[in-house]
Amino acid sequence: MLPNRSRLSVLVFLLPPLLLYGIAVLFPILQSLFLSFFSWNGISDMEFVGLANYVRMLTADDIFWRSFFNALGYLAICLVLQLGGALLVASLLTSMRRGRELIKTLYLLPAVISTVAIAFLFVRIYSIEPVGLLNQLLHWIGLGALERPWLSDINTVLAAVSAPEGWRFTGLYMLIIYAALLSVPQELEEAARLDGASRWQLFTKIRFPHIMPVWITTTIMATTYGLRGFDIPYLMTNGGPGQSSELLTTYMYKTAFTSTDFGYASTIAVFIVIECLVAVGLILFVLKRKADA
Amino acid sequence: MKKLFTAAVAAAAAIALAGCGGGGGATDPSNVSPTGEVKPREISWLLSRPADGAVINIMKKLADDYAKDHPGFSLNLITTPDRPSYIQKLETLAAANKLPELFDTDATPFAQQLAKQGKMVDAEKLLKSLDVYDNYRPSALDYQRFDDGSLNMIPFQFELEFIWYNKALLQKAGVSAPKSLDDIPAMCTALRDAGITPIAIDGQDQWPLERYVAYQPFREAGPEFIQKLKKGEAKFTDPAGKKTVEWLAALGKAKCFQDGFSSQGYSDAQNQFTSGQAAMYNIGTWELPSLATDKLNPAVRDDIDFFTLPTTDGSVTAANEFVSPSGIGMAVNAKTYDPLVSDFLKFALTKYPTEYAATGALSPTTNVETAVPANATPLYKKALDMANDLGDKQAMPWDTQLDPTTNGRLQQELVLLVQGNITPEQFTSTMDSTIAQNAPKFFK
Repeated sequence: MLPNRSRLSVLVFLLPPLLLYGIAVLFPILQSLFLSFFSWNGISDMEFVGLANYVRMLTADDIFWRSFFNALGYLAICLVLQLGGALLVASLLTSMRRGRELIKTLYLLPAVISTVAIAFLFVRIYSIEPVGLLNQLLHWIGLGALERPWLSDINTVLAAVSAPEGWRFTGLYMLIIYAALLSVPQELEEAARLDGASRWQLFTKIRFPHIMPVWITTTIMATTYGLRGFDIPYLMTNGGPGQSSELLTTYMYKTAFTSTDFGYASTIAVFIVIECLVAVGLILFVLKRKADA
Repeated sequence: MKKLFTAAVAAAAAIALAGCGGGGGATDPSNVSPTGEVKPREISWLLSRPADGAVINIMKKLADDYAKDHPGFSLNLITTPDRPSYIQKLETLAAANKLPELFDTDATPFAQQLAKQGKMVDAEKLLKSLDVYDNYRPSALDYQRFDDGSLNMIPFQFELEFIWYNKALLQKAGVSAPKSLDDIPAMCTALRDAGITPIAIDGQDQWPLERYVAYQPFREAGPEFIQKLKKGEAKFTDPAGKKTVEWLAALGKAKCFQDGFSSQGYSDAQNQFTSGQAAMYNIGTWELPSLATDKLNPAVRDDIDFFTLPTTDGSVTAANEFVSPSGIGMAVNAKTYDPLVSDFLKFALTKYPTEYAATGALSPTTNVETAVPANATPLYKKALDMANDLGDKQAMPWDTQLDPTTNGRLQQELVLLVQGNITPEQFTSTMDSTIAQNAPKFFK
């Protein structure tokens, strides 16, 4: 129990950030919730429609479901690239003796390039007319049959727009995981090695359990970033061709600012909030249980 | 937990910003001659035109001239050349009821709603009161009109859209310029067989492909088809609709557009044409400085020519009727319209055409002669002369006609149709149901 004076000072210091958080985060969410019950195009009179927007979203909107599953696909690719890639590189780094700093810096570089530049860069890489880097590489190594306009092919476009986002942040997560791996006690590893543990066992039984808390945090970070993915797909394909790379976020943005259907866009926004909450809840639940087991 | 909300916050905040609107100007949009004293102040023009383009440069100069006699006056030009971004900005500002004195818009359903709410000054009355109405080309004004004939936007340009082509490449493939729209798919096949990209198109910006969907119905059923289609009174299952869908599928099947066109931009497409890789390129007279002057790549300069939109068998519109837009128009905000705005517009609109024609562009008025630049090829004059012999009807770009949701969906589905990812039947049923769902909200 804090003495009165210090409880007051805690309040005084906590209040401004709380207020800011309320104004910048909670208030807009509540306003979205409010707007989601209306039909409103910005200039007409607001018309209360009850749950009609939700019914339309869940039962009658094929693009919504398409973009929901696209968003999941996008998330999966980003997570594999970011977390899988980061874990792999970080583990390799710990066993390297020289050039660690160089590798770390090289991997981290994409994180400091601006999104727009990355999007334009990858549009060029995927291009077929004029031939871009990827198609050129495939040609050189004799896989010419795989050459294609990656961003115009409805079967490859989702992976093609997810990869830059994954590539971009691999270095950042690598750095976090690498720092965690460094904190694994050497004596534990040595003891295990003396007991005849293989490298794989060392990793699964000692290292990974040790970095679990950091892993959970990184997973949550990567998941929320993945769910809010917007800029790179929007810039590279604007959701196209058709709806092949449309994500919930780009769809919501278009609904609000192109179709000026602010009520329905708010409904999608509310769905995204719930989706994020559910995703993080699931991660905590699964990983905590695994950690306890 | 803060991170959890990030995704939603961007959205919610944006929507919240848009939400602070409500209310409207209570001024009379038909009162074009406000009485009172001209009090100089800063006025703003929210526009979507190239930052160093002729329109902006001339209006800046005219504003400076006006400010000499009216100290304290200035014209603040806020330009967003990227059209989709501009439209979003305009719609958000309209929702927040924060539109400036002057703003650009096409004759879209959204603009019509603004007009119906009395937010835009009646441009026909305005131009008549300034005594310049009769100078305008009728088709330049018609392009700006809403379906009911009302005029709320003032044009600053006049453009003609042609299909530019490379004679040498056509010859190499053993084909000649098409007599009918229906000849184009076969032409594409021949060009492809000769290893030539038939048509270069900017797929990224989506409006260029949307032009193609407008062509067959304009020839088959005239300009009325899109006016009915957008309201759900005509359908893609009608003969004109069916024809355009099948034609586009045929264009796709014949591989008319460059591979991967959907992710290629404006300059990519133009470069393909001007570097002699692509045989055809559909673009307007705003590109005359790059296509009909010595700036054009010398290797193709003598091979370039253009033809206007081909007709078809039984076409109800004539060969001299095609897409002739007068560009995005300028609307005058009724709420902020006062003696100053009126006086400045009078000054600017009377002086503008002379200045604009001197830059080598087609003025929306007929009282001035366009100056052909010294470095022009003969094609420049040929293109300008086409403006003297236009029919009464014009093909409207569909992106200015459809409601925004239908328009967005159409742009997406068109790519799929041309790429062969969906069948003409799927396209037709998706689009007809999209129109049925969205049109009623906009065209009550």
